[in-house]
Amino acid sequence: MIAAVTAQAQWVHYPTAGIPRTKDGKPNLSAPVPRTKDGKPDLSGIWDVLHNRPCPPEGCADMWIPEEFLNIGFSLKGGLPYQPWAAAIVKERMAENRFTDPNAHCLPTGIVRMYTTPLYRKMIQTPGLLVILNEREAMYRQIFTDGRPLPEDPQPSWVGYSTGKWEGDTLVVQSSGFRDGLWLDANGSPLTESGKITERIRRVNFGTLEIEITVNDPKAYTSPWTVKLTQLLKADTDLLDYYCIENEKDGPHLVAK
Amino acid sequence: MFTRVMIASVLFAALFKGTPASAQWFKVMTPGIPRTADGKPNLSAPTPRGPDGKPSLNGIWQMNGKYLQNIAADMKPGDVPYQPWAEQLFKARQNGALGKTDPAARCIPGMPKLDALPYPFKIIETPGMVMMLFEGFTTFRQIFTDGRELPKDPNPTWFGYSVGKWEGDDWVVNTIGIRESTWLDNAGRPHSDALHLIERFQRHDFGHMDIRLTIDDPKAYTKPWTVKEDLRLIPDTELLEYVCVENEKDYGHLAGK
Repeated sequence: MIAAVTAQAQWVHYPTAGIPRTKDGKPNLSAPVPRTKDGKPDLSGIWDVLHNRPCPPEGCADMWIPEEFLNIGFSLKGGLPYQPWAAAIVKERMAENRFTDPNAHCLPTGIVRMYTTPLYRKMIQTPGLLVILNEREAMYRQIFTDGRPLPEDPQPSWVGYSTGKWEGDTLVVQSSGFRDGLWLDANGSPLTESGKITERIRRVNFGTLEIEITVNDPKAYTSPWTVKLTQLLKADTDLLDYYCIENEKDGPHLVAK
Repeated sequence: MFTRVMIASVLFAALFKGTPASAQWFKVMTPGIPRTADGKPNLSAPTPRGPDGKPSLNGIWQMNGKYLQNIAADMKPGDVPYQPWAEQLFKARQNGALGKTDPAARCIPGMPKLDALPYPFKIIETPGMVMMLFEGFTTFRQIFTDGRELPKDPNPTWFGYSVGKWEGDDWVVNTIGIRESTWLDNAGRPHSDALHLIERFQRHDFGHMDIRLTIDDPKAYTKPWTVKEDLRLIPDTELLEYVCVENEKDYGHLAGK
């Protein structure tokens, strides 16, 4: 599903500043939430997916995907509330071995799949702007927290346009302006260009982030739906660059079953 | 704004893929910009400074596009101190020959081309790290300013490993660990795995900045050589998304293997 294998990498080891540590020097990931000068939680850090998918007997894959990578509605009883055409297209995409998946062709993942891709992302909270740097394709996302409104008719893009504001200790991020044809998971759950996404991001403790994602896209789904994704802090490391397109050989071999 | 499209279509026709979609530019009033009586940004106002008295480099900047085509555009012929093999390879790459061997042709520009893209990039200074977010290729650089040393033997990456520090009013960035396959410019000047880049950021006033770029690579050049690249501030807008891989059709038409 993810074309191109990660190069044999020399991981970056560098002690992350400001991490509370236990006596033996290990990061104390259950320490309290760090805060910025204005008292708001600081979401900054390098985050990994919660590996909630059991590994096969032969061991975990290099790219150890979480359940939501395949099915973003994994945690929902009864699954996602697809409109009939959306249910049909998911069935078709799975039957076709997902060979039209933008991800498999090294195109951007969109903001939901960024959280389910088993590569790191780094959040950097600055006054007025939260930046997310992604290992995958070395791409970034900006979430404006300077009070600006969402644009009325933005140029549709893979990443959309995002603004955030604090509600207590939760950063509530609204996004719209997506291009048509985005996939929310590898099964091919669609997001249309009228889709709106709300993320409620909360740092639970030093080492854990909870992101509640609500997708409101009446063209593709009969009702809005909400899933919760957990992200875990990776201490004492940094991002490497990962390019799907580098030495990519899989594209021509992707065919329907 | 016309310039942005014009530069893009002229300069990128030869080597860079992915036509920028006709775009709806963002209009955002950049806070903190000094303005003239009629509300226009006053780009000749003095250099803004941070609480530490150092120049602030924050803002959206756009490079003079000629250096992407020819990094030695302002040098006299014969002034680039090639090692014989490097000159030979540079000549072999002339006129688009071997275009396929430029990683940028596969949508990975790498350093130092990334700085020279004619698309805007945003500098965001944070404590301990400065980010550069590039509109071109929607990618980023991290430059560490927390006092760490350059690693001794970093895993080579497309951007290398960068640390920055102040020398008077110059912000000096040292970078090593750049993959040797990247090109210095579209003209095809090569470098080796010994490349050490020194960028000296000099903000002259509110709207103008130079990067004095020194190429220190004894394997490819007999002595270090320096070029000056000029940038201008782009006020009241935001970065757009640029996805090189999307609908990419050029690679097959490039020369070389």
